[in-house]
Amino acid sequence: MTRVVVPVAVLENQAVSLGLVDLLGTMDVTVMGYHVLPEQTPPDQARHQYSDRANEALADIAAEFRDAGGAADYRLVFTDDKHASVRRIADEVGARSYVIPGATGTIDRLLVSLSGDVAADRILEFVTDLVGDREIQVTLLRVGGDEGDTSLAAAQSQLAAAGIDAQTVSATASNPLDAVVAAVPDHDAIVMGEHAPSLRSFLFGDITDRVAEESVGPVLVVRRDPPASE
Amino acid sequence: MSAEESPSLGTNIEGDAPDVERAVEADETTYTEDADLERTLGLPGGLAIGVGTMIGAGIFVFPGLAAGRAGPAAAGSFALGGLVALLVALPTSELATAMPKSGGGYYFISRGLGTLAGTVVGLSLWFGLVFATAFYLVGFGFYVVDTFAELGITLGSGLVIPIALVFGVGFTVLNVTGTENAAKLQNAVVALLLSILVVVLAWGSADALGVIGPASPPERFLPFGPFPVLTTAALVFTSYLGFAQVATVAGEMKRPGRNLPLAMVGSVVVVGILYVVTIFVATSAFGSVELASLGETAMVDVGRHYLGDVGALAIVFGGLLATMSSANASILSTSRAVYAVSKDALLPRWASRINLRYGTPHVALGLAGGPILVLVATGRVEVLAEVASFLHLVLYGLICVALLVLRRDEPDWYDPDFRTPGYPVVPVVGALASFALIGFMQPLSQIIGVGVMLATAGWYAYYARDVSLKGALS
Repeated sequence: MTRVVVPVAVLENQAVSLGLVDLLGTMDVTVMGYHVLPEQTPPDQARHQYSDRANEALADIAAEFRDAGGAADYRLVFTDDKHASVRRIADEVGARSYVIPGATGTIDRLLVSLSGDVAADRILEFVTDLVGDREIQVTLLRVGGDEGDTSLAAAQSQLAAAGIDAQTVSATASNPLDAVVAAVPDHDAIVMGEHAPSLRSFLFGDITDRVAEESVGPVLVVRRDPPASE
Repeated sequence: MSAEESPSLGTNIEGDAPDVERAVEADETTYTEDADLERTLGLPGGLAIGVGTMIGAGIFVFPGLAAGRAGPAAAGSFALGGLVALLVALPTSELATAMPKSGGGYYFISRGLGTLAGTVVGLSLWFGLVFATAFYLVGFGFYVVDTFAELGITLGSGLVIPIALVFGVGFTVLNVTGTENAAKLQNAVVALLLSILVVVLAWGSADALGVIGPASPPERFLPFGPFPVLTTAALVFTSYLGFAQVATVAGEMKRPGRNLPLAMVGSVVVVGILYVVTIFVATSAFGSVELASLGETAMVDVGRHYLGDVGALAIVFGGLLATMSSANASILSTSRAVYAVSKDALLPRWASRINLRYGTPHVALGLAGGPILVLVATGRVEVLAEVASFLHLVLYGLICVALLVLRRDEPDWYDPDFRTPGYPVVPVVGALASFALIGFMQPLSQIIGVGVMLATAGWYAYYARDVSLKGALS
């Protein structure tokens, strides 16, 4: 089954919303508990003091995901760079996607962004696996004029072939970030592709993080590179 | 964590056993049984720690003091110090790649030579860093006063100690409450500092060699004979204490097999060359007698001599940055030393607690900051520097011995990525040279140093006699 990494700031009492747990019921999940450390603190020192507590909490969260459907395990990481750790773990467990957990209730409506330089096929495959045979509405979004390899219509029919009814929206905003954020109000969660690092993302942060910040709800990020192993 | 889990290691007086964790070291991550520890420092970060810690004391505080003792041959003292540092940096690199863990020298010695040596060295390392930090802070105080003097505000040297105390408190608080991105800042500070120095030194060397301006008449190279060169080498060895700091963060360095040796040996070489050129330029600008009379901030006048007020300002600014970064880096290392010792049940567990609010080891930082302030208050620059050197030299000597012992036994777990060239000559000479330098210190420093070591041995006998660490590595 497709695997998803769910990073949780476990020592900062971050919780995973029930809506997200249900949504990921069709997936295998690796819960990645992490704690970001300042440089004054050797990672080993934090492990020494907090790993028992953190692992207990992670075992509970993983159990919730198992109850929702898929297989679930957990890892604990002490790091000073959350993003690097998420990518490493995703590679190691062969995850197709990672999540930026946000607050949400039941997830009925999914916004899928195909804008920008992303692998549309991989995103659509992931959405197909994620939705499965459930009644979840899907909106496909692309910024107007930005027709990549896969057109919105082709994407729509690809999903239809898997039994998923999707609306399409061609946004008029000038950039993917604004377009996604503008379309958020009618949706509970967002699926988008991982973007290549750029000067822009270096200065302002990853676009996926900024979408997550602006949209409050969870963002599922489909990874660019094929998983190294499965 | 309890005695039952690892009965073979013994327990301390409180019943705690060393916390020895099965761990797999990969290039980017350490995998333990219950968590992954991300390695976060690259080669630039490692070099910045090494160079940043070393460069402050040596270049900005010592030229005046050293020239007063050894004349122009002070450059030879620095070269000798650098050579000893290099002889120790090579064995340290080998051990660090075999055991890329927090704690550095303490870790190697406790695993190679056993608990008594480990306790003495671990606690001495803590005190050594405390003495070194106090020395850096006093140097910083001198530079603050000089900065104001350059700006036309006279504070008087009476304010040096109060300023050093205030900043000592400041650095400690800053480290407890968290300094995000301080590592990047440190890299930038070191880069800026190196640029300033290279410009001033290049200009100064050109002038001193007679390329520009009239050649200065050569001074007698050894006005006081060869003996002061050795005693001065012992004094200025504090300038080279930074490379060992790289080993204390070995557990956090990416690709430790490659980056640890490069960072340690590289920073010793870079800094050693800078020191020797600096002393050469400084003694060429003024005679050594005049240089000595200029004291802790003699370099400011050297800057002014060659480049006018701009040069003086550049040096004052550089001195501020350098002493500050040395002090800050040392406070950081101190808390790691305390952690490594406490993890092995040689100090109470609470000494290495971290708080969740800031995620920092507040107790260990306090154990660094408190004694530092007491020592700063004494204001004895030379003694502080020498005691720091003393305690580190013992550490370095024992590191070399630990390498010899480990290489002779070659236990199963011992598999370094880097092997010391010139073995066994390099570690043998390194050990002898380290111990020999101690012999050339002032009696007061030697007495304090021996006192600290006896006190730590007493602590071992009282607290951790039954703890066994030798070869305790998984």
